[in-house]
Amino acid sequence: MISIPMALLITATLGSVFAGLTCSIAGVFVVRLNMASIGFCMSHAAFAGAAFGVLIEIDPLLTAMLFSSIAAVLLSPVASRAKLSTDVVIGIIFSLMIALAFIFLNLSPGEAASGSALRILWGSIFAVSEFDVLYLAILSVAIISFVILFYKEILSLLFNRKLAEAAGINTYVFMLVIVFMTGLAVSFSLKLVGGLLVYALIINPTSTAYQYFWDFRKIMIFSPLIGVASCIAGFTFSLETDFPIGASIVIVSAALLTVSIVISPKRRTAKGRA
Amino acid sequence: MRAEQMRMEDETIRLERVSTVYEGERIPAIREVDISVHGGDFVCIVGPNGSGKTTLLETINGILRYTSGHGSVFGMEITSNGSAIRKRIGYVIQNFEIDPLSPFLCKNVVMSGRTGKIGLLRFPEADDWDAVRESMIRVGMERWWSRPIGKLSGGEFQKILIARALAQEPDVYLLDEPYANLDIRSRHEISELLTEIHVAGPTLLMVSHDVSSIPSSCTHIIVMDRGSIVGSGSATEVIESGVIDKALGMRRPNL
Repeated sequence: MISIPMALLITATLGSVFAGLTCSIAGVFVVRLNMASIGFCMSHAAFAGAAFGVLIEIDPLLTAMLFSSIAAVLLSPVASRAKLSTDVVIGIIFSLMIALAFIFLNLSPGEAASGSALRILWGSIFAVSEFDVLYLAILSVAIISFVILFYKEILSLLFNRKLAEAAGINTYVFMLVIVFMTGLAVSFSLKLVGGLLVYALIINPTSTAYQYFWDFRKIMIFSPLIGVASCIAGFTFSLETDFPIGASIVIVSAALLTVSIVISPKRRTAKGRA
Repeated sequence: MRAEQMRMEDETIRLERVSTVYEGERIPAIREVDISVHGGDFVCIVGPNGSGKTTLLETINGILRYTSGHGSVFGMEITSNGSAIRKRIGYVIQNFEIDPLSPFLCKNVVMSGRTGKIGLLRFPEADDWDAVRESMIRVGMERWWSRPIGKLSGGEFQKILIARALAQEPDVYLLDEPYANLDIRSRHEISELLTEIHVAGPTLLMVSHDVSSIPSSCTHIIVMDRGSIVGSGSATEVIESGVIDKALGMRRPNL
């Protein structure tokens, strides 16, 4: 087990808790709205943005947010203009972002810059500052408030977007807020979990909760709990093994999901019914 | 009293030469449609698949923006008042496939119909849950109060979609193929329910590709083909004109 200073331990633990919370709540939206590939694209765009930030020596967080927002905003119009399916456009933007990220990393001069860039790639507890934790805490409060205050609108939207719109809900605004919050969750968690892995933290906890609950309210409560548990367990695993924290979190959350799929009471009921 | 008020209201829905073209398409899905529906009318829109029936409903509630002409509902222009209009319209969407593991309970799906009515930053109260329970009783689904939506049969899900519209307590119902997936007994029950709703006052617009499913309480029929209205009038007028036979190539309904 590696030994790290107490202050860093507290920062990294809090960062893990808030990253797990925000990403897994965003995951409920991403999974239900079939935005899985959009989230995938956004997380890699954030990675490219962060690499760009390292290259031009400004806070990678800002450029990560900028790139992921641009990717999310561009998707639909590009697909419409090019008369291609959104999935095809996502594939194009995703590979473009990865290519850009590698070029930015390659161009980053000096050992320190390369170190920063690599930390963005894999995630590292040493990359997380008190400010990053503060941003994640503020985002956690914002995203939880959003869910509580607009729970009935969110439920309606996630059940069926067209029906929600027909009931008088401005679904366009809600979709914008959801995409924006997902982009923020991805960007803020990037340093801790890593650009290539943050997406798993969005998808895995929600998919795990889906294996157990029929009630959306419970999914909304247990997804973030599973997300936080995955992050804390992953962090501990990382300390024990000296593996990168991002990879450890993903391994833990994927293991939880795999076990849940195997023992899922929900799937057994559905199968029994069929 | 409410029924009289509704019937006194002038033209609840008015479309003048309205066309709707989908994004990226050239040919309008509905073409220069003129419709005038008064409060308390029960209008059935019939036509073959792809004739523009669903597009017409979604143009009326503003989910789709019309590209030319002029449309108003409750005296308000549709495009600029879409949200206000939709809060007064109950929409029964065409039955769609539901994920068997979908994490929504019947009571929550029915309550979602009242979301716009309750308003932003307000939580459902006892009255709202009473309305939800009443709606589920009216479609005979009260026993599935806490049933996951993914465990319902197609017909049961259709009834929940109708209950969802009922819970909204709207002034206008737009019903897109409400008999889809229903067995004969359920069709009869829903047909009686629609008649009951009509008698209470609201305006109903029902879309169907099956003429034999038109309820006897229907006051007007509109026949659509290839995006245009090819016939309209009372049930008797439309049937006797033979326009339904021409558009659908189906046997005449027993009205």
